[in-house]
Amino acid sequence: MRTLSTGAGITVVADAASVGSDAGSIRHESTCFDAPVLIATVILMLVGGSMVSNSQAAEPELIRLTTDGHLKQRPCWSPDGQQVVFARHVGDTIFLFLLDAKTGKEERLTSQTFPEYDAVFSPDGKELLLSFDKLSPNQGDIDVSRIALTDRMLVPQATTQKALSHEESPCWSSDGKRFAFTSTRHGNQELYVADIKGGEWLRLSEDPAIDAHPAWSPDGRTIAFSTDRWGDLEIALIEPDGSNLRRLTDSRGLDDYPAWSPDGRHVAFTSNRDGNLEIYVQSLDGPALNVTRNPSIDNFPAWTPNGRIGFVSNRDDGFDLYTVEWRAGSSK
Amino acid sequence: MLSIGQIRTRECRGWTRRELLRAGMLSAAGVSLADLLRCEAAESLGQEAGDNARKAPAKSVILLWLWGGPSHLDSFDMKPHAPVQYRGPYSPIASSVPGLDVCELLPQLARRADRYSIIRSLRGTSNDHGIAGTIGLTGDTAGAASLSGQVLPGALKPTHGSVVSKILGFSPTMPRFLTLGGHLHQGKRAIKGEGGAALGAMHDPFRLDYDPEKGIQIPHLQLLDGLSPSGIDSRERLLGAVDQLARRVDQSADIVRLDQYYQQAFSLLTKTGAREVFDVQREPEAVRRRYGKFRFGQCCLLARRLVESGARFVQVNWSSHVEPVEDGGDGGWDMHDRHFQQYQDRHAWMLDQAASALLDDLAERGRLSDTVVVAVGEFGRTPKINNKSGRDHWEHCYSGLVAGGGLRAGQVIGASDRLGEHPITRAFTAADLFSTVLGQMGITTTTLTTNGLLPQGSVIEELV
Repeated sequence: MRTLSTGAGITVVADAASVGSDAGSIRHESTCFDAPVLIATVILMLVGGSMVSNSQAAEPELIRLTTDGHLKQRPCWSPDGQQVVFARHVGDTIFLFLLDAKTGKEERLTSQTFPEYDAVFSPDGKELLLSFDKLSPNQGDIDVSRIALTDRMLVPQATTQKALSHEESPCWSSDGKRFAFTSTRHGNQELYVADIKGGEWLRLSEDPAIDAHPAWSPDGRTIAFSTDRWGDLEIALIEPDGSNLRRLTDSRGLDDYPAWSPDGRHVAFTSNRDGNLEIYVQSLDGPALNVTRNPSIDNFPAWTPNGRIGFVSNRDDGFDLYTVEWRAGSSK
Repeated sequence: MLSIGQIRTRECRGWTRRELLRAGMLSAAGVSLADLLRCEAAESLGQEAGDNARKAPAKSVILLWLWGGPSHLDSFDMKPHAPVQYRGPYSPIASSVPGLDVCELLPQLARRADRYSIIRSLRGTSNDHGIAGTIGLTGDTAGAASLSGQVLPGALKPTHGSVVSKILGFSPTMPRFLTLGGHLHQGKRAIKGEGGAALGAMHDPFRLDYDPEKGIQIPHLQLLDGLSPSGIDSRERLLGAVDQLARRVDQSADIVRLDQYYQQAFSLLTKTGAREVFDVQREPEAVRRRYGKFRFGQCCLLARRLVESGARFVQVNWSSHVEPVEDGGDGGWDMHDRHFQQYQDRHAWMLDQAASALLDDLAERGRLSDTVVVAVGEFGRTPKINNKSGRDHWEHCYSGLVAGGGLRAGQVIGASDRLGEHPITRAFTAADLFSTVLGQMGITTTTLTTNGLLPQGSVIEELV
């Protein structure tokens, strides 16, 4: 028997013989929990063969939050850590779901039949912004909408009238008064900032490259985003007034989906710099560290309020939600 | 093979299939389906075609039909030195073949480049999915229907799989031509050219599909109320269902088409062994995972099982609709907007994983050498990125992947200009591509003309 304790206070007692690896697969058979977490399954990273990272470093402990295997994207934790919102692809649908982190119960965020994704909690946890795709025949038209957890009414937040334009990838400012997003309103995908109460948009970027996936820092002073203006996709930083554009990453390959740590000192992002998609963490003045180190696809990082990193991975078959513990200096 | 009653005659001549349906199957008159199919097979495979097929290096074809039109600039013909408005956000990576760089989002295919060739100078004549789809599947515009509903002049040609079915003949144990996936559409308009056309419904594809939720789906079986593959273990139950169906459709104009369904469904589903071919869950878990447990991945695995069981042309449709989910479709490649987002998050790794697994699996089982694998769509996408962060239709230049079946691998054939807009070497058509593929199966120009079919295209000599 082997007992492991995780950073989330979950202890798993498992028969070591039942969690070995075969042909690169991971088995995860937990037998009892000492915390009331029903769904979360600790993945015991007792692996061999192709699953061993080149660095031979021990793989970090994971908590698995879902097991259905459907493709998922862009999880986001509520400020109190009690809920996770994420988009799930089933058949030809993309719908947002709320997962109760304690009970494991899920519910649809809305009752809409159109595609919806990229939801993010407001700083007070009472509302969400999301990308909502108003389908017309054979053509999507994506807006940023807002929804309160109380009445679940969708309220258009950023739309373009009289022209087909996509407003998406919203993120809140830390004071909850503004939000950043992308739009193709002006003929290319650029970054914008607007007040939650409405009014004119402030255009932050103006470059023929594609700017995507803004993430507002906890101190409110910086927006991270991805851009291909320097070649391939890199993580860039810009201030909310559009000034002081600078580069955070400089690697061959794709760096995308930036997410700020709760203390604002690190940015997690997806990168394929080692040949496949992994979650990396980088401080504002330090090197990027590979957190996931697994030959499967690891994507869409998001921080939990207690500093773990959530992400989507297909390491166990289909795509599911996981969190991994991370401390500065804990990864190579 | 299920025999319905006692055989009364082994003489095929004088019996039409319709008569058999009525006199034989409907009233259980007693003709074994196997006998009928043996007669069919004997009639349809001529001596010359049979000799050519037996000597040909390729026995089967798996067509990965990337419906909607993949971007060549983001897959197999990258232009890293083009202006940012063209090149897109991805970098090329070196492959196992010097000079054959592919997109960084296709790392598994990059490692297997010695197993395939890339054609970078394919060219079509229409940017309408309907017309280009018909060209891709039949080699010709005749009978194609555009998005607006305009039908182009000429009689619709049979699709490549139907030609294979016609030339190589009906098989009593496995249809020659199967399509994995539903009927192809753009919007709500069905695409012409997926079936046998003048060759008859007998050479339409037998359709299967894999649903991650429900498993294998067999649309033809929906005609047999209440029956499922697992349920056809009772002769009485099957006969009852057939009788019921036959009474219902006896007066229908669809009777001839149902005849085909009967024959194929009977021959496949009344044999436990045949049914098991469809059951991808019989594969080791590691194999299923290798292909990926998403629809396209499991369909690629099913395609391998089918060719191992005698199928000669298996078409795996990436989707039924050209449109992605965000545009009301079911995940097609027609990404006019959010192109990079969708390609990066879904299409690229799905194609990379499934196609790589298929190539590996066929090679490891000794079947890549006699199975041609083609991955191609109906056209490419605009080299210049549009104002919605997407790419539009581009028929002037696109790429395709060809592997196996004795075709030359580890090479790039053709080249496009610096922006990927036009071929700068000899341009090849879809007809050329499939003329080459069918040629590897021993289906030559002579074979086609002998069978009353008009040859389409010329063999791409660099591949053979």
